[in-house]
Amino acid sequence: MNLRNVAVVGFAQLPVVARDEHRISTEMLYPVVRQALADCGVQRDDIDYQIAGSVDYMDGRPFGFVAALDVMGSWPPRQDLHLEMDGSFCAYYAWLRMQAGDCNTALVVGHGKTSEGEPDRVMNLQLDPYYQAAIGLDPTSTAALQASAYMARTGASDADLAAVAARNRAAGARNPENQLRDATSAAELQKTPWKVEPLRAGYLPPVGETATCLILAAEGKAEKLCDRPAWIQGVDHRTEMQTIGARDLSRSASTKLAAEKALAMADVASAREVDLVELFASSPAEELIVCDALGLDAKASQPVINPSGGALCANPIMSTGLIRLGEVFRQLSGRAGARAVPNARRAIAHATQGHCLQHNLLWVLGSERRWS
Amino acid sequence: MKRPVAVVGVGQTHHTTRRADVSIAGLVREAVDAALRDAGLEHKDIDAVVIGKAPDMLEGVAQPEQYLAGAVGAHMKPLLRVHTAGSVGASTALTAVTHVASGLYDRVLTVAFEKQSEGNAMWALSPNMPFTPPLVAGAGGFFAPYCRAYISKTKCPPHIGPMVAANARDNATRNEYAHLREPMTVDDVMNSPMLWDPIRFGETCPSSDGAIALVIANEATAKKGPRKPAWIKSGYSYAEAMWVPGRDQVSPRAGQVCSKAVYDAAGITDPWNQIDVAEIYVPFAWFEPMWLENLGFCGVGEGWKIVDRGEQKFGAHLPINPSGGVLCTNPIGASGMIRLGEAALQVMGRAGAHQVEGAKTALGHAYGGGAQYFAMWLVSSEQ
Amino acid sequence: MNEPPKEPIKYVDSKVYLPYHYVAGDYKARYLRALKDKRILGSKCSQTGKVFVPPLMNSPESFAPCTELVEVPDRGVVTTFCIVNIPVIGRNIELPYVAASVALDGVAISIFALIQECKPEEVRMGMRVEAVWKPDGERHGDHDDIQYFRPTGEPDAPRESYINRL
Repeated sequence: MNLRNVAVVGFAQLPVVARDEHRISTEMLYPVVRQALADCGVQRDDIDYQIAGSVDYMDGRPFGFVAALDVMGSWPPRQDLHLEMDGSFCAYYAWLRMQAGDCNTALVVGHGKTSEGEPDRVMNLQLDPYYQAAIGLDPTSTAALQASAYMARTGASDADLAAVAARNRAAGARNPENQLRDATSAAELQKTPWKVEPLRAGYLPPVGETATCLILAAEGKAEKLCDRPAWIQGVDHRTEMQTIGARDLSRSASTKLAAEKALAMADVASAREVDLVELFASSPAEELIVCDALGLDAKASQPVINPSGGALCANPIMSTGLIRLGEVFRQLSGRAGARAVPNARRAIAHATQGHCLQHNLLWVLGSERRWS
Repeated sequence: MKRPVAVVGVGQTHHTTRRADVSIAGLVREAVDAALRDAGLEHKDIDAVVIGKAPDMLEGVAQPEQYLAGAVGAHMKPLLRVHTAGSVGASTALTAVTHVASGLYDRVLTVAFEKQSEGNAMWALSPNMPFTPPLVAGAGGFFAPYCRAYISKTKCPPHIGPMVAANARDNATRNEYAHLREPMTVDDVMNSPMLWDPIRFGETCPSSDGAIALVIANEATAKKGPRKPAWIKSGYSYAEAMWVPGRDQVSPRAGQVCSKAVYDAAGITDPWNQIDVAEIYVPFAWFEPMWLENLGFCGVGEGWKIVDRGEQKFGAHLPINPSGGVLCTNPIGASGMIRLGEAALQVMGRAGAHQVEGAKTALGHAYGGGAQYFAMWLVSSEQ
Repeated sequence: MNEPPKEPIKYVDSKVYLPYHYVAGDYKARYLRALKDKRILGSKCSQTGKVFVPPLMNSPESFAPCTELVEVPDRGVVTTFCIVNIPVIGRNIELPYVAASVALDGVAISIFALIQECKPEEVRMGMRVEAVWKPDGERHGDHDDIQYFRPTGEPDAPRESYINRL
């Protein structure tokens, strides 16, 4: 199948902070949209399509996303969509529109001030309202269930989780966009109290917020917007049913399937062949499970996992997945500063949604076009 | 459209005030099962699922597509969830169309629903927003001033809204799925309480529980049958900013631009004569003449005259909302897809008692937000 | 409690408790604080000079930033309105009331406002109105420092002057 070559050509974000006291969600988004366009050297009118990701409940406003139209340059009227999902899924749909020939350039944003509400309460409401939400399960508890299942099957230990967290924190210290920017040793992290056993407070990201904007462009346009576009070579996403008791929590079947499809599309035999992987993992156990599903050894030095510091160092929820894609762009286009992986030419970006890695999206990107 | 795309199955629930007999999953599943049966397909034939619905506060479940993934047969498939306010049902269907038009998916199930009896709908739609005076009282309170502006601008007489409402109920008597089906006379509407002057109770949409699902498919599937498909000639979804100075709230530019794009791509140059039937999103009766103008069926100030002459009634020149429309049925998240689905049923020849005879070309339309989001498609019985 | 229930369970009641602690944002905060001093602030588009109330960080029309805050008069025109007859949870306004779009003088867009000190039937598009503030000492820097708008008694504004500021 010969698809259209599409690339990520720009990405802008605000540094992730616990709470921006001076700007509402749309006021955080406006400068980021302006920045992304300026970095590509284009005006808003040069972009064919726009799509936004945000969640009403996180915003504490029904129709909260409507206000974003006013800061995205929605005049004259624009072809537009909004998904109640992380921005990474919006990027997927924009890519799909390019495959359908419906646009050549797209503006993808993620926004939402998670500091205004209590994400744990909101995410409890994602669960089946009849059987599971009523128990009071919050996302840390469900993640802990999953971590226990994984540790029981594989024999992974608290020390293994601490090592993963420490690796992310060390990498994250080199990334000025992060909320957590200090390296901490595994031993120190293992001293933090349990949030929900087996997950310690030190293994979990703080609540944080930002705004993000990513620009996609098809071949023919991409080269004009960016000196080193990050070409999308393969992509796929899959969801599983939510019911926590009905799936094998120690594995991520949807990640495995999405990876198979995305890697096949990219004509890459295995995830081990890429130079770096950016995963959206809100706990070290999730990271280990996703690595398993990708056939990666989390302890190996190749490919480099989460050179950005991952979601542990910055988890703005509506943008975390889009940031993974943006980080891969920075790496492949030589914009990764102190955290650059040398000679990075191929990478994987992952995004997830829903309790216990319910829904997973895999991108394979590279410095070369996939199709001729 | 890069590749031919068609609607090959439609399934909807009998819309009503409260479906106390099913869970949220049960409601959605009814529509899904009906659509698959209609298309002669099974879950294994479906490559992806696209779900749409309006604010999640309406049911008290955040991002319910996660909870519903299993019920809609999306296990181990791609799933997306769209939310574009009132237009969501339509923009969701269009998202499914893109999936097939891309060539990467052959058959996509798309579902839109609302089970708003379960929450408090008024609160879910207009809680007191921070740092804003709490003046707007529901959607009607937001739109009533613009209906007034239309009436003032066009000298629209006061019986037009009631005529639209009475006609919608008449249409609904021919639609077994509609929520409000008792006939109303123009006098009944005129005598109903004024809610947000100039909008009366009789001119207002209900709050409904309901779901609708469509199967969108590629050419090969559509040609295989068992049903005659509805070919999607074009579809677009546009949005505009709210606080643009001089913004026309009565005939928003996004609606004009969107309909022009839909017509141009489908080769329509004379909508009034080339379109046989239109299902348009009219939640408050005054929007019917407003949208007739916004959609280019007539000139500015002429929309209410079409209603006055009855040219938009069932059996007349251009039947509008033969299903009864949003005025008779409004599960908010579903309404946009019901418009698009009803348009498809018309050209498939399957609208039962509300079938417009010989309908070959139909428009499905929806809008949302402060009249900012517009999503529409044009379907045809011919490829 | 060993017997299964005789009737199947039909309903699950769920009371949702979600606290939110919203940020006003500097633009809105400065606007609200100025109300305490009986001042209405708008923001000015750096490209077109058009003024927005309440202040916006950018003009949605030009997409340029609005970097300057300017004071605007507390009087203007009713561009359109409706008369509300239904109650809303948590609100205490006496019914019926007039909810109007009011375009303040010199401002490019309109605000929503309550119209009082006249019968609802007397309100009309083009009616000139002025703000009625809470007395000194009772204003706290909140949107209800302006209690409502009332007719000034001046002749109605010509249609062209407000028809594009609905």
